[in-house]
Amino acid sequence: MSDPVSVTPAARAADTLLRSCGGRQMLLRMPAPAIAGDLTEQLGIATPRFQNIPLAPVVFRKARAVVSEVRPARWELLVSATAVQGVVTSLGYASASVLFHDAAGVLLDDELLEITSATAEQVFGQPYAYRLVLVAPVADKN
Amino acid sequence: MQNAKDTFYTMLQSRLAAVNPSRTIVVRGTVRPGLLVEENELPSAPPPTDCFRLCWTKLQLVSTSPLPLVAMECSIAYATAGSAGNAAMDRGRMLAAMDGELFAALSVEPRSAPKLNYSGAGVGVAPTALSTSVFWADPVFGPVIVNEERLERTATVQVYAYREAGEL
Repeated sequence: MSDPVSVTPAARAADTLLRSCGGRQMLLRMPAPAIAGDLTEQLGIATPRFQNIPLAPVVFRKARAVVSEVRPARWELLVSATAVQGVVTSLGYASASVLFHDAAGVLLDDELLEITSATAEQVFGQPYAYRLVLVAPVADKN
Repeated sequence: MQNAKDTFYTMLQSRLAAVNPSRTIVVRGTVRPGLLVEENELPSAPPPTDCFRLCWTKLQLVSTSPLPLVAMECSIAYATAGSAGNAAMDRGRMLAAMDGELFAALSVEPRSAPKLNYSGAGVGVAPTALSTSVFWADPVFGPVIVNEERLERTATVQVYAYREAGEL
């Protein structure tokens, strides 16, 4: 069976580097598609179902979170482009940016972190990793 | 006052869709008319453009009769960055179009709607009609805020409803 995801040499090298730096797994929490014509979801009566999609390898760019008095703790995560492209293809998303935009957050060690930005790290126009900026949950911000 | 909030939202959504059926948004893969209630959606940053975002801000008890009258302030925010085909040079016209659509939807008679209870509603199940109506005042349009390439405006509307017996 052929792999539908094309892996560039840079992405393969990045995967090796991520694994050698202690690459771990994260869970991308995705909401189920909205039900057409269902007013209860628009009114907040019904909530969508969520599915947690594993992505690996990922590493924290810095071991410690960026902390300040006025802002919530912030982490940066490097995610394998190979893994992201696999999820984009299997779920039928147009691009990785749409995938991360639609995600409800990232589950790491049973804590749901909010994605504030997702940037592709590229070589010759091909992404080899994605940099996610994550912040602590809303309840922990104060 | 959740029933009044739900009724006002569904009323405004249907009126805006009648004024401009082509103003739509895609929420989790589904196309909807271009109005959403922020508190009912998943957090999203940055907020979507070219649609109306409804937010309930203030609540005041106007009269304490056996049928109390409650005033709620509804804040409707909207923004546009223009269209890419016109190099965003039409963003002023697009904001003016949204101003006009909102004004048309809120100023058309009647300025009231029968209050409905959506708690038991669903796909194919109609909401329950209550005894009183929801009514509203003229919208007040705030100044245009220039946020980089985006033009943003917030309009506020006072929405009134009677709190019926048994209503939360």
